[in-house]
Amino acid sequence: MSQPQGAPASPTQSRGKKSLLVSDPPKFDLESYLANYKGRTRLERLILIGTCSSYLGVEALKLAVKEAKKGKDIKRYLEAQNHLETVGPQEREAARDKVWMDMTEKQNQAETQRLEAELKGYKNNLIKESIRMGNEDLGNHYQAIGDLPRAFDSFSRMRQDVSMAKHIIDISKHLIEVAVEQKNWVAVSSNVQKIKGVMVPADEDRTLQPYLCATDGLALMDSGEYYNAALRFLQTEAGMGTTCNSIISPNDIAVYGGLCALATMERNELHTQVLENTNFRTYLELEPHIRRAITFFVNSRYSACLGILEAYRTDYWLDIHLQKHIDDLYHLVRSKSIVQYFIPFSCVTLDSLNAAFMPPGKTIDKELAMMIQRKDLEARIDTQNRLLTSVPSAPRSALQANTLETAKEYEREAHRRIQHMNIVAADLEIKGGKRMGLAPIDDMFDDGRQLRSRNSGANVYPGGF
Amino acid sequence: MDNLLPNLLSFPPHPPPPNPISDYAYDQGIREQIDYVRKLADSKLLQQTSGGENVLDVINPALNTVPYTFILLANISALKKGTKGVDMEKIWGKMTTFLGTFDPRQIRYLGDQLSDILEAVASIAVTNRQPWVALAPIREALLRLDPTGTILTTSHLALVRLALDSHSYNPVVPVIEKLILYFPGTTNQPRPKYICDMSLNPMQYITPASGLTQKLKYQDVLEYFLYSGMVFIGLRNWEGALQCLENAVTYPAKEGSVSKIMAEAYKKWVLVGLLQEGKLLNLPRSTSSNAAKQYHTLAKPYETFAQIFESGTASRLKAEADQGLTVWQNDCNTGLVLHVLAAYQKFQIRNLANIYSKISIPEIVGQTMSAETGNKLPSPQAGEKLVQEMINQGELHATMSTSPGQPSVVTFAVSGPVLTEVEMQTELGAATERIHALTKEIKQTDRMLTHDKDYIKFIQKQRKNARQGSTGDQGISGPDMDWGGDVEDEDIMGGLY
Repeated sequence: MSQPQGAPASPTQSRGKKSLLVSDPPKFDLESYLANYKGRTRLERLILIGTCSSYLGVEALKLAVKEAKKGKDIKRYLEAQNHLETVGPQEREAARDKVWMDMTEKQNQAETQRLEAELKGYKNNLIKESIRMGNEDLGNHYQAIGDLPRAFDSFSRMRQDVSMAKHIIDISKHLIEVAVEQKNWVAVSSNVQKIKGVMVPADEDRTLQPYLCATDGLALMDSGEYYNAALRFLQTEAGMGTTCNSIISPNDIAVYGGLCALATMERNELHTQVLENTNFRTYLELEPHIRRAITFFVNSRYSACLGILEAYRTDYWLDIHLQKHIDDLYHLVRSKSIVQYFIPFSCVTLDSLNAAFMPPGKTIDKELAMMIQRKDLEARIDTQNRLLTSVPSAPRSALQANTLETAKEYEREAHRRIQHMNIVAADLEIKGGKRMGLAPIDDMFDDGRQLRSRNSGANVYPGGF
Repeated sequence: MDNLLPNLLSFPPHPPPPNPISDYAYDQGIREQIDYVRKLADSKLLQQTSGGENVLDVINPALNTVPYTFILLANISALKKGTKGVDMEKIWGKMTTFLGTFDPRQIRYLGDQLSDILEAVASIAVTNRQPWVALAPIREALLRLDPTGTILTTSHLALVRLALDSHSYNPVVPVIEKLILYFPGTTNQPRPKYICDMSLNPMQYITPASGLTQKLKYQDVLEYFLYSGMVFIGLRNWEGALQCLENAVTYPAKEGSVSKIMAEAYKKWVLVGLLQEGKLLNLPRSTSSNAAKQYHTLAKPYETFAQIFESGTASRLKAEADQGLTVWQNDCNTGLVLHVLAAYQKFQIRNLANIYSKISIPEIVGQTMSAETGNKLPSPQAGEKLVQEMINQGELHATMSTSPGQPSVVTFAVSGPVLTEVEMQTELGAATERIHALTKEIKQTDRMLTHDKDYIKFIQKQRKNARQGSTGDQGISGPDMDWGGDVEDEDIMGGLY
């Protein structure tokens, strides 16, 4: 956790380090960033920033400790406090507040017992609505004290006693919230589907559509389906406001949607689907630099686009959902930029590519070689004249070669089928089967041995040794 | 002898009649003649002509194959007995010319005799410690007997064995490169009326009953495939080897049994696949799934080796090769493994052609490793030599240019060898022709299967069942049947109008 590590300068550096530590100052202000969110996600985000940023670490952890003490989650408090103890032991908040802990612990236990007893009572009286609400209360309580599996169970139990569509939506929303925190994305998308199943088209609740798009998008992004995630985020209707802020803020929609689109869409698609998308525009206005980056990309100013993204890399490393994916996404954008940059040319000097895509003093050769190997880029490198040349496409000869290959394949297969039929017709197929398992091998072993003794003389020459 | 000659040469009529004689007459004629010649004693056949000539010099084997065959056999048995006056050199010459000139129509009636002569040729060659001299005559005989080469005979197997024993592989290639489609011993087939019918498929006249081959066992078939694969390996013809070995690997097997020979073939197939394609090939689709499972357990070291070849480093490949030394030795595959090691760097260099268009020799040396040593090449000169060698052998489509004082530069041809339009046309034409030929074989197989006695019985039974069904279950499907009857009635009426 404490090993010092600067921001990797090149995307080719290995990604997915477990304990990422960012030392550069991010562009956002912690207070205003946090104001976008409410609920448990605030604490989670603070702890993430606290553990990953050496610049904001102490401040974030101090806030985290304060935030945790407002709530009832002792585990989270301890986590934040432990980190703070290592990073800034001199801070006032670094000392463990045993009194608060004990008190909260007792209160939590009492509350759990009370709610469980209540629920039991409802169950005895067989009042469906009360049971449902009892379960909901219990789920909320478990969620608040950080016992997520139990919270998930309690919310799930609400489903037995639903009486209207609204209830189903409520349950799923609760479950999504818990599942997002658990990073259980399968549960998230399945609950999104459940809500969609009961949603009335003319639902007056306008906030539901953005909510579903956002959570589904998150789930897709996490499984690496960036293109579908981008589509989901882009479909988000305007007017999300603060309705989802226990999970995601409108700014996040802009960033996630923009980056996923940038990483996976073609220039035309970016233009029509992102920049001309009236719904998404309202979000994009919140994060003007993403808009600028996309515009640059559409206008083929790749280095400017990459420059903007690079400038915000630190911010995104400190984002709870983007952290794992940002390197992948940037890498995709970068590869795509190089490919796009190269399209209009048949031949580009490596130096101009270096100038466009690499910091001074570094060369792009290795990266290009890797891209060509992965077939991302149809080109060849000329190390002598330092050129990147495109491969002349020869559709005619490619088709002809393909035809020959297919014909050959057909011949081979047909030949073999005829052969097999005739083997069977001549009653020459191998019939073991009296003994099962490995025994058939033994069954045939006699021939093998015979073969080997015959071979021991004969078999040596092929190959000439 | 002189009084015998007219009778011996009575068939086929010479000069040939203007209208070729019918198959029936031919069949009759040749059978009579064989009966006649067979009854003559060896001593009579060995007599010389009045002019003191050897009869073998008088009779033309291409025209009068029947008497020639019997006289030749008489001579051979005399030779074996050590009778005076039979010159081995001379007989050998006669035998080899005979095998290259006999009449393919007449020989169909002389299966046993031909087999005896082939055997004699092989045994003489072996006893004289020159087994390779027998290869060409036997090959010629097999190709004359069946120019399509699609049926496997016992002589085929003897031929490849002889080739492997004598370390001379080239002579047998014309035989082993033919696709084997048919196997003697197919039962339940209708007999052809006359085996002299030239339109017959080889599998109809080459049967165990004709004596042209014996009945094969599956081991024999597998051995033939494995051995012909090994002949191709000996010639470093990886593609041919791959095909032959694949025949063995995909051999149909019932109920999860696998022959040891198949496993041996699979091991070689994996290695040859590396040499040909540079990767662990997927098993052909027609491999039986149980065999595939067995292969994976039986040939584990080979598969691991292949995986390392594909994605590992040179030093790991080398280590693996050393580690498995006893395995390779026990399977007699050491030679192939060494070949694979030698091929590793070449594949790496060829892969560079997918990335670079121009690259200097020192860069190649820096980016590739030799699996024979597990290290980089010691010097740019060694690299230059390797690349030069590959270019010369057509393994690398590139040119190398040297300028004094500078390292040599390799320029890869961007899209490999490009065929000219004309070459492509011929290639495509040849492929079409081959597929047409194959279609004929498919029809033949189809015909054969539909004429199988068991199949016909099965169809008959089915028909009978269907008929019985239509009368039998009236109780159950009464209304349906009535309706069907109505329709039929209507049809009949319709016909009347």
